[in-house]
Amino acid sequence: MIELVIERWRAWAPGVEEPADWAGWSAAPRALEDNGEQPACDFVAPMQRRRLSRLARIVMHAAWPLCEDDEQLPFVYASRHGETTRTFAMLDEIGRDAPLSPTQFGLSVHNAIAGQWSILRGQRGESVAIAGEADTFEHAIVEAAALLGNGAAAVIVVMAEERPAAAYDGWIDDVPFSYAVALRVSRADGTATGPRWRLSLRGNTEAAPSAEGPHALHFVRALHDGATLDHPWKTRRWTWQPIP
Amino acid sequence: MNDLERDIASLIIETLALEHLKVDDIAVDQPLFGQGLGLDSVDALELALALQNRYGLKIASDSRDARRHFETVLSLAHYVEANRAPCAD
Repeated sequence: MIELVIERWRAWAPGVEEPADWAGWSAAPRALEDNGEQPACDFVAPMQRRRLSRLARIVMHAAWPLCEDDEQLPFVYASRHGETTRTFAMLDEIGRDAPLSPTQFGLSVHNAIAGQWSILRGQRGESVAIAGEADTFEHAIVEAAALLGNGAAAVIVVMAEERPAAAYDGWIDDVPFSYAVALRVSRADGTATGPRWRLSLRGNTEAAPSAEGPHALHFVRALHDGATLDHPWKTRRWTWQPIP
Repeated sequence: MNDLERDIASLIIETLALEHLKVDDIAVDQPLFGQGLGLDSVDALELALALQNRYGLKIASDSRDARRHFETVLSLAHYVEANRAPCAD
């Protein structure tokens, strides 16, 4: 069982960016149309910004304000599918027998965005890049809890997915639209203020069907309505409960 | 700037995603790497690949002269002029 304070959070999805937008979306969750929109990230200098993929921009936009310039915080980057756009472009090059772009190659690895965060923000501490299944979000929280247990004052957690190329239709079915959810979390028994949540895990013995849609976005909704969440996935059953 | 120089400047902007620059922002004698335009070693690899594709050049990766050829748009234009494949446009 994990108990956390959500000190601050931010999220991005196409056309849903401001807190008021998310309050509206949470009251009536719906699939959003993804037309390739991306955040401007004009807080990053152009020479650095040009190396940020769409997914990286979404991550930076969501996470950037959660960490102050004068603090060092561990960073957990979580994405089930990662840089599908870059890897798909490289597969295309391989298929055409063309040489691979060194930039695409270097930035296609799963921890590239965590590395870019470290460089752009001058963060020299721990960072974790994970990819799990539909419950990748919960696994990211487990990572954050481990870092907090190890003494971190707070942890930045970002769960992000980019809508993949149409060629993946039928294989990737859990990214209805691109999104990122960024949380700044700390220990529930600390001094930080904010909503407190408990995450627990048990076996999915009743074989409850999987929760529909991205878990991280369900959690955004729960941050608004304070309702308990039930996230079954295969043999695992995660429960999110607000701590009164 | 002649046509080839403009073409190379445009290729640099497009290949290296320098969306904040226009062709006329890059002077033909401006150093491309380090203190000049600010390109780095990954850019050098990417640019070599683009030049090979565009002009049919063969650039040996261990060439000692590569550093000199890649100094500026002007030096790249001279290099392309001298080495481009006859059929490549």
